[in-house]
Amino acid sequence: MILIVAEHKDGHLRKSALELVSAAKSLQAGLGGDLAGLVIGHDTQAAAGELAKLLDTVYSISDAAFSEFRAETYTAAVAQLAQEKNAKAVLISASRSGLSYSPRVALRLDAPLLEDVSSLESNGNTVTATRFSYLARVTETVQAQSLPVVISVKPNIYPVAEAAVNGSIEAVDVPLTEQDKRVQVGEKVAASSERVALEEASIVITGGRGVGGPEGFDNLIEPLADALSAGIGSTRAVVDAGWRPYGEQIGQTGKTVAPDVYFALGVSGAVQHLSGMNRSKVIVAINKDPDAPIFKVADYGVIGDVNAVVPALKDAIEAARN
Amino acid sequence: MKIICIIKQVPDAEARIRSTAAGIDLEGVTFVIDGMDEYGVEQALRIRESGVEAEIIAVALGPKRYEEAIRTALAMGADRAIHLETEEAFDPITQAKLLAKVVGEEAADLLLVGGKEADWDSAALGAATAEALGWPHSDWTTELELTANSAKVTHDADEGSEVLTLPLPAVITTQQGLNEPRYPTLPNIMKAKRKELKKLSLDDVGGAVSKIVILKQEIQTRERLNKIIEGDPMEAAQQLVKLLQQDKVI
Amino acid sequence: MIDFSLSDEQRQIQSLARQFAKDVIIPNAASYDREESYPAEIVAQAAELGLLNTIIPETVGGLGLGMLEEVIIAEELAYGCMGIYTILMASELGITPILLAGSKEQQERFLSPLLDGPKLAAFALSEPDNGSDAAAMKTRARFEGDEVILNGSKMWISNGGIADLNVVFASFDPEKKHQGTLAVVVEKGTPGLSHQKIHGKLGQRATYTAELIFEDVRVPAANILGEPGDGFRIAMQTLDKTRIPVAAGSVGIARRALDESVSYAAERKAFGKPINRFQAIQFKLADIKIGVETARWQTYYAAYLVDAGLPHTQASAIAKTYASDIAFDAANEAIQIHGGYGYVAEYPVEKLLRDVKLNQIYEGTNEIQRLVIARTLTD
Repeated sequence: MILIVAEHKDGHLRKSALELVSAAKSLQAGLGGDLAGLVIGHDTQAAAGELAKLLDTVYSISDAAFSEFRAETYTAAVAQLAQEKNAKAVLISASRSGLSYSPRVALRLDAPLLEDVSSLESNGNTVTATRFSYLARVTETVQAQSLPVVISVKPNIYPVAEAAVNGSIEAVDVPLTEQDKRVQVGEKVAASSERVALEEASIVITGGRGVGGPEGFDNLIEPLADALSAGIGSTRAVVDAGWRPYGEQIGQTGKTVAPDVYFALGVSGAVQHLSGMNRSKVIVAINKDPDAPIFKVADYGVIGDVNAVVPALKDAIEAARN
Repeated sequence: MKIICIIKQVPDAEARIRSTAAGIDLEGVTFVIDGMDEYGVEQALRIRESGVEAEIIAVALGPKRYEEAIRTALAMGADRAIHLETEEAFDPITQAKLLAKVVGEEAADLLLVGGKEADWDSAALGAATAEALGWPHSDWTTELELTANSAKVTHDADEGSEVLTLPLPAVITTQQGLNEPRYPTLPNIMKAKRKELKKLSLDDVGGAVSKIVILKQEIQTRERLNKIIEGDPMEAAQQLVKLLQQDKVI
Repeated sequence: MIDFSLSDEQRQIQSLARQFAKDVIIPNAASYDREESYPAEIVAQAAELGLLNTIIPETVGGLGLGMLEEVIIAEELAYGCMGIYTILMASELGITPILLAGSKEQQERFLSPLLDGPKLAAFALSEPDNGSDAAAMKTRARFEGDEVILNGSKMWISNGGIADLNVVFASFDPEKKHQGTLAVVVEKGTPGLSHQKIHGKLGQRATYTAELIFEDVRVPAANILGEPGDGFRIAMQTLDKTRIPVAAGSVGIARRALDESVSYAAERKAFGKPINRFQAIQFKLADIKIGVETARWQTYYAAYLVDAGLPHTQASAIAKTYASDIAFDAANEAIQIHGGYGYVAEYPVEKLLRDVKLNQIYEGTNEIQRLVIARTLTD
């Protein structure tokens, strides 16, 4: 059996969960076995219902102890179910939380971890995956040496699976120890609330130091992101300067994105930044410095002042829509 | 208290790496201590400088060349180091098991691990080592405050950030923003020469077999169009929108 | 057996210096050059990291680094900016005579205070009317009681006027020529000592270079290094050592010229392909690389001889001459590779040429070095 841990929010599956189903299907072709989904949370009924339209078997763990993500409670739940159901592979989204507990699950199952993978295949006995390394400059093919295997799957790579079945939902209980619950979750600071999550965005607009200041984000980046329903990113320099929160940072120490189109506005293009976005399908760079390294990785470049080009771009997009 | 910092040595971010049929060719590449690990060492030093009596130990698992990165940690101010030396490469899960044995023997209270490795692009080592030790962990940590027996952290979560309180001993993985690491000064580089660097072999920790094998590595960058769009801002913008529509990405 | 490897500490020192050059020197070098201003903040940071006055011995509280460590640092800092590195280099130059000829008491008295904050030394030998011909110096020393009284002026003194101490060479008996010279330490603020900053230099404009003027400057005879009569010998022994860092700085400049050229040649296209695909460019790059590597080994070899306490006059002269000559060629070819862009200040290569020119001149012109080398062959 291949177990898919589906992320959800506000009663709906996240896009990454739909991608995981596609990833699992591509793995199933070689590895065999059934697919089963798992939804973990405080109130998982709605999300489990959505998942049952994609998979025949859905397990649902609904408990107040899971109302917040904690690596150890999730590890306990996923590892226990994987063991009970004799899963050959466990698929987890390579979100921040997924990356946080999937190593623990692997340890607990004494399984190899295929981390942050972008493709998967199997010959029935082993699982082979591709992933990025060396600041995303290298693509490597890695092979797990045993089964079961724990796999975290890079978001925004696999297509979204379509609803196709009418599966069953089975409630599962996971006894948690005090130790599992020892980490206390306190205050949260939300990222830009209304906007699409960066990793899920099909369009990302990133501002660099060339934007000029926090007001540059308000006046240039935000309106363009609104016009395109895009996620907003920023560079390390911008985050270090305190113009934007860390959660928006793209690059080695920030998030990795691979949207359909990536706008780098006033971004110089340091290698650490490129590692977070160089897998984007189309890259657009706008910068007044013609020597900025970002132009070397861009598909389309405009050499000019962001203050002039970005508002014109927003107008052109709106005009093209009408 | 006893603080252990895990150290890795990685190619300098600006180093040019080449791929050959045999994999990645690192010949002639400059290696440095992983920047994410430097945050860990710096944090340990700041904990000590805040008045907490602390012994700081740098621990590394890797080939002989890692010594230089270990010396950097010592020159920054770590008290001593342990190098589990092996020319073999292991996946992070296996590494975690090996390192947990070293950390366990030292009976440390706090383990600081780089948030993401600049060579394997992996963020797994911290969490995996925590699991191997039976400790809690916080990853992508941007603030760390210690009390007698707990750590209060702010870390990056899926959306935004959150505060966690973890009982000690615990594993903390670093994130940019945690601090600004210091340079190891020249006097401290010279002093580091006299600090203890204990060598362990794989046999000392029971050996291991990697759970992951790398079959192939290649530098695969997308071919980019590198098309510069000319014209005044309005013309350029209109042309750009047309191109993006043709590409069906907006 | 010959060992070409650096120790762990030497590599650490190298990476510290490299990091410092990258983070602190390179981003600021152009503006200090343009404004011809002294980079006090950078010198202070260098001092904090221990990169300044590294040869002060452990016996008086310093690090007591060897020549090899010094040249490792020199190459890295000069890679960032030769003009800024010269400030540090000139301080070591001012310290060297005190190490060579100073008593334990003098070393303690003069060198310990230099460790306390960003403090510099300077070496005052050249004069307005003579440079290489040191025996013809006109600065006069007169003895009066237990004091020495100095009159005259010294020219092209790096750190002159801002250094806390100056090692000054003067003649007390012109008839005795070399044997009539002495070396004496003059501390900043001594009455009668003044300076005039020299403006309008071609390169190395971040270095504070001045003329030092001595008008009845009285210093204790206890400040004389060695004996009266030792002056010329002390100066020559000093320069035998300190021209090795000049060589190392030249290697740094040449390596910078290479790196800038390699990356420009990879980006710049002509006739539909990057210019690094053309043999004319490839040959230039290869020649610069040959210069960098060979000059570095000669520099390391000279440094090794110093550290091993072996004769090094010839080796240091070869290193200084060869390294500064290949570095000049490297900077010159780097401009050629950059074409028109190499000729404007927007790219760093024109500064390399302006800076490196001085390396062929100071601490003994390359012509004098060739004489020194020839003398070891013919005398």
